[in-house]
Amino acid sequence: MKIAVCVKQVPDSDATLSVNAEQTWIEEAGINFEINEYDRYALEEALKLKDAHGAEVLAVSIGPDRVGQALKTCLATGADRAVHLKDAAFSGGDPWSNATALAAALRPENPDLILCGLQADDDNLAQTPVILAEMLGVPHATGAMKIDRSDAGLRVERELEGDRREVVDLPLPALITVQTGINEPRYASIKGIMAAKKKEIATPAPSDLGVEPSAVGRAGAKITFSGLSHPEKKEGGEILSGSLEEITAELVKRIRENTGVL
Amino acid sequence: MAGRILAVVETEGGRVRESAYELVGLARSMAEAGGGTACAAVLGADPAAAAREVASRGADTVFAVKDPLLTHVTADGAVAALKALVSAQEIGVVLFSHSPMGWDVAPRLAAAHGLPALTEVVGVEGAGKTWTRMMFNGKLQVKMELAGSPLVATVQKGAFPAFEGQTAGAVEEFAPGLSAAQVRQRFVEVVAAPKGKVDLASAEVIVSGGRSLGSAEKFGIIQELADALGGQVGASRPVTDAGWLPHEHQVGSSGVTVKPKLYIAAGISGAIQHIVGMKQSGYIIAINRDKEAPIFEVADVGVVGDLFELVPALTKAVKEAKGKG
Ligand SMILES: Cc1cc2nc3c(=O)[nH]c(=O)nc-3n(C[C@H](O)[C@H](O)[C@H](O)COP(=O)(O)OP(=O)(O)OC[C@H]3O[C@@H](n4cnc5c(N)ncnc54)[C@H](O)[C@@H]3O)c2cc1C
Ligand SMILES: Nc1ncnc2c1ncn2[C@@H]1O[C@H](COP(=O)(O)O)[C@@H](O)[C@H]1O
Repeated sequence: MKIAVCVKQVPDSDATLSVNAEQTWIEEAGINFEINEYDRYALEEALKLKDAHGAEVLAVSIGPDRVGQALKTCLATGADRAVHLKDAAFSGGDPWSNATALAAALRPENPDLILCGLQADDDNLAQTPVILAEMLGVPHATGAMKIDRSDAGLRVERELEGDRREVVDLPLPALITVQTGINEPRYASIKGIMAAKKKEIATPAPSDLGVEPSAVGRAGAKITFSGLSHPEKKEGGEILSGSLEEITAELVKRIRENTGVL
Repeated sequence: MAGRILAVVETEGGRVRESAYELVGLARSMAEAGGGTACAAVLGADPAAAAREVASRGADTVFAVKDPLLTHVTADGAVAALKALVSAQEIGVVLFSHSPMGWDVAPRLAAAHGLPALTEVVGVEGAGKTWTRMMFNGKLQVKMELAGSPLVATVQKGAFPAFEGQTAGAVEEFAPGLSAAQVRQRFVEVVAAPKGKVDLASAEVIVSGGRSLGSAEKFGIIQELADALGGQVGASRPVTDAGWLPHEHQVGSSGVTVKPKLYIAAGISGAIQHIVGMKQSGYIIAINRDKEAPIFEVADVGVVGDLFELVPALTKAVKEAKGKG
């Protein structure tokens, strides 16, 4: 079995965000990037299937040079190969042009299973994988909290609201997006880090994948984003200031006056 | 833009989910702004009753999309059925809730028309020229424009008011004529997650901690404050994902919805999926070192600072106050 995992690198969740001059994206300078949390769970799910049934695991990512680090981490954790779409033509895409690029990279690979995150923690768009599934013509399921092999292919438990799950069977090849908490992602071992040095990270250009540069990245995007900004403060609560003692005394007073629990 | 705006209604056990009326309300206001009509679609093997209900509450025309292969809605089944409806009825905009059904179906329906979707929108200008959504878990907002038809959007729950009036819309049956080969996912069943030991839904005081606590051991300071206040501990999703606390402590859209007299959120950023689970609380205190954290928007009072300093100090102050009675 061949499993492809789509991995995005996103700002770490505690990063202080400022907006670029065009108001289309954040200012990336000075920010630490990490693997999108949902994608760490997707990679672990691939590695679990590899451990249990044997598989070749391929990690794929679109992004600038810094993304090489994320892919190295995937290789050190247990992925076998990586594809880094870092040509300038791939940058600045939207879900449509990113799915176009991922589809071009994955078509020749012909994976049995594609695992992605439910959403990226930066844009929160939650749609690149589903578009990719349509482009590749494979069935999909989103928000998996459990994936098992079955006679038909895979049995997937999708998370629903209200603490329920929907169980669906999917034939292979298929694409599944993974929800956080589905497993316990492993960390790279020293041995894994050493082994990763010998593993390949391919960096194909659009022409190597048979896709027009105008179909990917910024040129291929269909959604126009503008006006990225901090939302206006609504009424919101009062922010307390003062010494630690003053603040805690004030909080106790407010708890007394407003809740009756003290 | 204008034209026909279609709200895709979700049902559960044949009953219309309340979020459908938020979509119907939005479809009406977009239709009014652009001179179009507000339509709705109910998918099922026998959707007539639910369709009549939606026609009496906001939609001008409701399509009862009827097919035995829609007994359980699957991604493939819904995409094929809605694609047929969109082309037969010249639909210009298709609205879904941003829900497990919405994110499973909407992007694929859009992609089948050569377009991306507009996901988790919280605002629409006029008849649908410019759409607003949040990014970075509620920290930033952005505007979007997209040319093409149909525009497919998923709408954040609670972002638009539900339509409350009475209408006398028409119900039209639509048979998409699905074939079994078109539907590759096979629905098996819906199962409930196992119930845990504590029930936060009935707690009067909840003190919740987030990802920044860093480990199960460090979560002890949250427990101590909860104990001092005679309350329960709650958590954001990363905490229960990491196994620092069992899932039953998770507050939010995929955990419990709580309504205590007092809710304290320490080191929780305030992503929408957390906020929907606690915003009904009587009194909300937020502690976060980032003054821009969205949690402050729903708090009655906030403190910008380090929780590792503030939480133990508050525990001490609460104990002293109780000592004095
Ligand atoms: C379908 C779906 C369902 C979901 N369901 C839920 C749900 O039910 N419940 C839920 O909670 N989430 C849910 N999520 C996840 C949600 O989107 C967020 O990722 C999550 O709520 C973030 O948790 P957090 O606030 O603990 O972490 P983060 O967003 O990482 O925030 C950590 C915060 O801690 C602050 N901080 C760091 N250090 C300190 C310090 N020393 N002192 C004070 N503050 C500090 C930071 O400023 C930051 O604001 C769901 C997501 C999806 C897609
Ligand atoms: N630049 C990218 N490179 C690789 N995979 C991506 C990229 N962007 C999105 N994805 C995949 O699509 C998922 C959802 O992303 P999004 O649609 O942006 O919320 C992510 O969790 C990844 O699995």
